[in-house]
Formats: sequence, structure tokens, C-alpha cells
Amino acid sequence: MTTSVGPRADVFVRTTLRMAGAVLVAFVIFAPLSSLVIWSFTRRWSWPHPFPQELGLFYWRKVLEGDLLRALESGFLIAVIVTAATLVLTVPLAYLLARYPVPGKAVILLVFLLPHAFPQLPVFVNATTLLYRVNLAASLSGVVLIHMVGALVYAVWTMTAVFRSIPESLEEAAWNLGASRLKTFRTVALPLATPGLIASTLLVFLYSLDEFTGTLLVGSPFVLTLPVYMYRTSVGYELQVASIAALILMLPGLALLVVLERYLKSEYLSMFGRL
Amino acid sequence: MDVRVEGLVKRYGRVAALDGVSMAFASGALTAILGPSGCGKTTLLRSLAGFVMVDRGRILFGAEEVTAVSPQARGTAMVFQHYALWPHMTVFDNVAYGLRLRKVPDAELRSRVEKVLDLVEIGRVTGVGERRPAELSGGQQQRVALARALVVEPRVLLLDEPLSNLDAKVRQRLRAEVRRLQKAVGITAVYVTHDQEEALAIADAVVLMNAGRVVQAGSPQEIYSHPTTAFAADFLGVSNQLAGVAEADRLSVGAQRLPYGGPVRGRATLIFRAADASVSAGEGGASPGHALLRGVLEERLFLGSVYRHYVRVEGETLMVDGAEPVEPGPVTVQVPVAKLQVYAA
Amino acid sequence: MAAPPLAIVVWLFFVPFLSSAHLSFLRDGQWSLQNYALVWRLYRIDVLYTLGISLVSLALVIGIAALVCGYLRIVGHRPVEFLFKVPLFVPFVVVGHGMRVLLAPRGTLNSALAQVGVVDLSDPPSIAFTWIGIVISLVWKNLALAVLLVLGAYRAVDEALLEAARNMGASTFRQIRDILLPMSAPSLVVASAFMFTSMLASFSIPLMIGGGEPPHMLMVDVYYRINYQDDLGTANALGMVSYLFAMGAAGYYLRTITVSRSS
Repeated sequence: MTTSVGPRADVFVRTTLRMAGAVLVAFVIFAPLSSLVIWSFTRRWSWPHPFPQELGLFYWRKVLEGDLLRALESGFLIAVIVTAATLVLTVPLAYLLARYPVPGKAVILLVFLLPHAFPQLPVFVNATTLLYRVNLAASLSGVVLIHMVGALVYAVWTMTAVFRSIPESLEEAAWNLGASRLKTFRTVALPLATPGLIASTLLVFLYSLDEFTGTLLVGSPFVLTLPVYMYRTSVGYELQVASIAALILMLPGLALLVVLERYLKSEYLSMFGRL
Repeated sequence: MDVRVEGLVKRYGRVAALDGVSMAFASGALTAILGPSGCGKTTLLRSLAGFVMVDRGRILFGAEEVTAVSPQARGTAMVFQHYALWPHMTVFDNVAYGLRLRKVPDAELRSRVEKVLDLVEIGRVTGVGERRPAELSGGQQQRVALARALVVEPRVLLLDEPLSNLDAKVRQRLRAEVRRLQKAVGITAVYVTHDQEEALAIADAVVLMNAGRVVQAGSPQEIYSHPTTAFAADFLGVSNQLAGVAEADRLSVGAQRLPYGGPVRGRATLIFRAADASVSAGEGGASPGHALLRGVLEERLFLGSVYRHYVRVEGETLMVDGAEPVEPGPVTVQVPVAKLQVYAA
Repeated sequence: MAAPPLAIVVWLFFVPFLSSAHLSFLRDGQWSLQNYALVWRLYRIDVLYTLGISLVSLALVIGIAALVCGYLRIVGHRPVEFLFKVPLFVPFVVVGHGMRVLLAPRGTLNSALAQVGVVDLSDPPSIAFTWIGIVISLVWKNLALAVLLVLGAYRAVDEALLEAARNMGASTFRQIRDILLPMSAPSLVVASAFMFTSMLASFSIPLMIGGGEPPHMLMVDVYYRINYQDDLGTANALGMVSYLFAMGAAGYYLRTITVSRSS
């Protein structure tokens, strides 16, 4: 005959292990991030001290007067331009691909995927040469272009799927009542595609903000974005500055995590792993 | 193995799926749990299996209380409505899985699997052991599911509407199969269904449930001929209901009077089956031991095996089945008093 | 209408991609196999190094994801599920820097361990700037995506199939091993092929945490070759090698897809 004490002890052990597991996972996930936080608020920390000797906002003040602000502005501006340009170019294309039998549709969609299927660095090395020849290297426009190479796929694939999911009958009803194709697109298809538009905007914006490889190659030495700035200060052992830059860089992403968790579907989530 | 449940309660939010269920499942018997959707029969079955942990109450297998035991350790075997055969494993591996978990040695494992496949009469299909479930018909898949459950020699066999996913013909055939297997193996079985004909056909004992409670329990014959509540009568297909008033020695239905000797007083519901009544033209009197109602026969349908007569009595339409057709017009409907059930309304 | 966006990708990716082939056979303006000879001589260890790191990281990511997601699927643990999504939104460069400060010889991890007496700060073990640091960083970042994809695949498995296994006596681990994994195998292969390519091609992480001494991961080698030696030929030859591995992974992925479609 079994007793009922056994199961109760078993439940206790299981609950404790569960909590221990959660703590372990939290530790692993937050360890590198918390190190960044600590370093951002450190004024001085040299070994053998186990903790920072001086904490403070010293470096925040220093950083806001220096190059970081320039990198932040520049990166932000580029991201905005990239997002706007990408959307303007891809939304009509996505609509075409969704609604009309375009020859080679599958190939077209795959072309946009290429920059994520192959190593970017060697390709961008050669691309820099091409841009150099038309005087676009080390310029804002060049960086915008190189960002778009990788960003387009997010918008094209998302918007094509979104447009495909809108029933054609909704547009047909509008044509039937006399609306032109353009007007129908503007007043029926586009509003209904809003969640997809928002998702695409966020994906592309974040991609551009975080882009490193292309910016490093094409942008150097004049165009500075936050990732490049962070890299330079990190390898230059300006750890506090780099950590502050890293924290700032993480904020849009984390805000997005919260937004997506609550409002958008998780299929968009999987595109993020490729940033 | 005797199975008993005492005072089982299971709540999902405000809804009580099980609202104080107590019953016993006799050892070696097939007990059917019957009821409409949402009555709690599936919840009861799943709590026996351990997939649902009850909020209150006890579950006993023999002398052992298993209320808090995990499903892995309970020693039950379930046959699922949609078979739940693992698609990536062969038929052999599906059936052998439970034995492999119990670390049964290879030779014994092989012989037991082959024997049980023969028992469910699928062993004869060539190469069945190496086939995938998707290559089999629905009926064959359910046989494999049965085999998988029986091969581990469980304490209790649990069946969750195992035949509802099959065609009517296959269902009829497998129904008898299930009963034969259960008797051959002698295992305690609990069979959930919403089909009253199925329950009556195969069970040794029937339990009728509604809204998380047990309404009536007994042998199929008892339940069928003596439903103790209006719900039970209705569920078991008793087609005729009349409103009346019951007094010490008579029953008043509208302007008509029927003999009555039962305990109900005041407003009452009378029920009887279409097959138990008879109808004849004219205005004759009651035969001995029968209650008589006068009415008008309005419509008659030929159902193949019987004629179904629709008779209007005191504002209600009654159905009376008979082998001989009766012409529309004034008629009398007679029911043996023993087949007339009266409940308080 | 399709022209402008396609043009951008064609001009700045497809064309440079093809010119890698062309440039890798050029040295001092002459057609030559010298570049590839140099790759063999100088970088073959690095190739193995890169493959090794990628395979180890992939094995760890898939192994951890398979088990963790099994637990999340069968038992469930919402807070942990959320936690695993965090690295998705941390850019690779930030991961690189974060791991630097965490794993450095006198970084926060070793400092914390020194408090407990596990580590001696005067002669600390160095995880960062070695292959271990790179593996940890790649695993940390890719685990989020792997968990997302594997959990999705696991959730597609009908609960009744898991209940039937539980009914037969299968523990959580056996349910993962016997039911969830085999039924999710195609999804896992797809995820693996993708992550392997991405790890092979990682640049910012090994650049920041790889350390100054060889061996280096291939992308770092390409960068250094261009930046410090201005050697376009060899850099592109290295690039070609990396493309080959990427195509191999893609081919394996396509083969799995077509096989599972035809069966």
C-alpha cells in the first residue's frame, strides 16, 4: 500500500528543482547583460577589486558630449532612411507578388533571401569596391544602400504574406462599386495590411540600427553608427563607454520584445533571430 | 481489480466537470459511462488515467489509493478516440513500446506482441508489424490501439469513445470485438460513450451521467426499462411524454383518467416507449393490465420494420409503433401499466 | 516595379558574390591559383577551427534546445520560456562586448567566482579570447532562435500522442526522446542548417572575443587580409571556401525538405 507522504515530498522536490532551473536560466541569460549594466555605471574598476571602486554617472556625462551622440544620431538617421526607402520600394512589389502571377516569383523571393544565406563579409568587401567606384563608399548613402541589401527580405517576405492573406473579395467589392485600383489599394488593402506594415517597419528599423558588418566596411572611416562605435570603444578598452553604447543599443530591441510579446504574432519573432 | 471512486470533484474555473462522483467498477466487468457532451464522462475517465488530477475525492484501484499517483505509474491503459498511434513508429513498435519501457526481454516481447496482434485479429494481415499506422484503415488502427493497451496487461482498461471515429458498419463489427476481447482477457474496463445503443449492447453495467453527476447506475436492462428520472428516460430514447396530475388512485391526463398506484403526487410526467404501446381504431375499452388513452391518429409512416403512428392525445403528439397499419381517425392507445413510467414533474 | 529593390540586391550582393569567384583567381592582375595555395598554407587550420567551433556550438544549441523545449512543452514554465526570448533582441555586437566583459580574465564572472574562492585573480583562467568564449557567445545568442523553432515544432505534436506515451509509462525524458524528437526531426534539420551557416559566417563575435592570436574564424581572417594586407585575391579565395560550406549546408537542408515532402 502506498502512502500519501511520498507524492507530497516528490512535489516539493520538483518545485524546488523548477525554481532552481529558472534561477539558473535567468543567471545565464542576464549574466552578460548585467555585466554591461555594471560597467555602464562604473567610474573606476581595476583588479584586484571584486566590485567597481567607484560608481557613478561620470561616463554617461562624458559620453553624451562625445562621439557617441554623433554615432547615435547618425545611426538613427540611417535607420529611418533605410526603413522609409525599403517600405516605399517593397510594398508595391509585395502587392504585385501577392496578387498577380509574376513569372519567376519564387526566384525573386529567393533572391532577397540570398544575403542571409551566404556569409556577408566577403561579399560586402567586394561591394565596397563597387561603391567606391561610384563614389558612394564612406558616405551615408552607401551605408543606406548596404543596409537595404539585407533589410529588403524582411519587408518583402512579410508584406507578401500579409497581402496574400487579405481576401481578394474585399478588393473586388470596392472595384465593383467603382473605385480605381489605386484607390482600392490605398483604402482597402493598405489599411488591412497595417499589422504587417508595423511588423515590417520594426524589423527593418531594428536590422538597420544593429547592422555592423556592412557599416564597418562601407562606412569607414566617416560614417559612424552605434554598433561600430561600440566595437571600436570595446576593443580600445574603453569599457565603460562601450557598455553604455551597448545598453543604448539594446533598448529598442528590448522594447520591441515587449511589444511583440503582447501584440504581434510569434511568426515575426523568428525573423529576429537573424539580426 | 476492483475500481472505486469516492466524491470526485474537478472544477475548471466556475464549471464543475465532476461534481461529487462516487461509484464502483466491478472487477472483470465492462462498465459503460454514458451521457451527453459535457456531462463529465471523459473527465472521469481521464482522472482514472491520471491525465486529470482531481480537486477532491479518492480513486482506488483495489486496496491502493492512486489519487495522487502519476499517469505513468498507475498501470492503466487507454484506448483513445483518435487512436493516438505514433506515426513515426511501425505497428510492431507501437504495440511494443509499453513493454520496452518495462524492459521486457526481446524474445518474450516479440511473442507477446505477436500474440496480442492475433488476439485483436490483425496478426493475419501480411507484414502488419512493419507497416506504419497511416497505411492502415480506421478499424485496423483501432485494433492496433487495443493491442497496444492490452499487451501491457494493465490493471484497468480505459476506452474513450474508441469507435466514434469509425464508419457505422465498422463500428458495429468492432463493438462486438471489444466485448469479446474484454471477456477473453477478463480485464476491468471502463468505456465512455455518448451512444446509448452502444452502451447497452456491450456493457455489463451502465452509468448515466449528466452535468458532472451520476444520474443512474445499473444493468443495461434495468436502465433501459426503468429509467428513474425524466432525463434518463429522455436520453435513453423513450419517445413519448405526457403531462398529467397524479393522485392516490388515478392519473389525470387532460380530461382522461388512468389507473395509478404509485407514490407520485401532484404534477407528473408520464413516459412510455413507442414500441411498448399499441394502437387500434375505434373506441374500445382497456384490456386488463393496460392503461388506455383516447386520441386521433393523424399520420402514419412506414419505417420498413414497423409502421409509426402519430396520435394526438390531449394536445400532445404520441408515437406508437406497430406491425399492422391503422387508418387515421379516432383511436385508442394502450400501454401495459408496467411499461408506463411516472415521475414528479 | 520589381526593378529597384531587386537591382539593389543584385548590384550589391549577387554581383560581388560572383566577383569573389573571379577575384579569387587573380593575383597581381594575372590568372593564378596562388590565392588558393595561400589559403591552404596559411588558413587550413583556421578552416578546421571555424568548422569545429560551428559544429560544437550547433551541437550544444540543438542539444540544449531539444531538452529544454521538451520540458517546456510537456511540463511548461512560462517565465523560463520568456527568458529564452531575450537574446533574440540583443544584437550580435552587443553579445560580443557583453561576453568580453563577462568572460575576460578579470571580467565580472571571474571576479564573482573569486569571491567564492573558486578562482584566483592573480592567475585567472581565460575563457574569453579563446574558442570557449566564442562557443559560449554563439550558443547564448542562437539558443533563443533554436528554442523558438524547436518549441514550435514540439507544439505541433498532438497532445494525445504524448498522453498515450505517458499512459504506457514514459517519463518526460522518454517522451522527448521517443515522440517529440523523431516527429520534429525535419524542423530540427532545417533549423540546424540555418544556424550552422550563420555560425560559420559569424564576424562580429569572433572579432570582439576571438583574441589576437591565430587560429581565427574565417570571417576574421578575411577582414584582416583585406584590412592589413590589402590582399583582395586571397580574401576572396577564403570567401569562396566559406560559400562552399554555406552551399553544402543549404544543399543538405534542401535534400531533407524534398525527401520529407516526397515521403
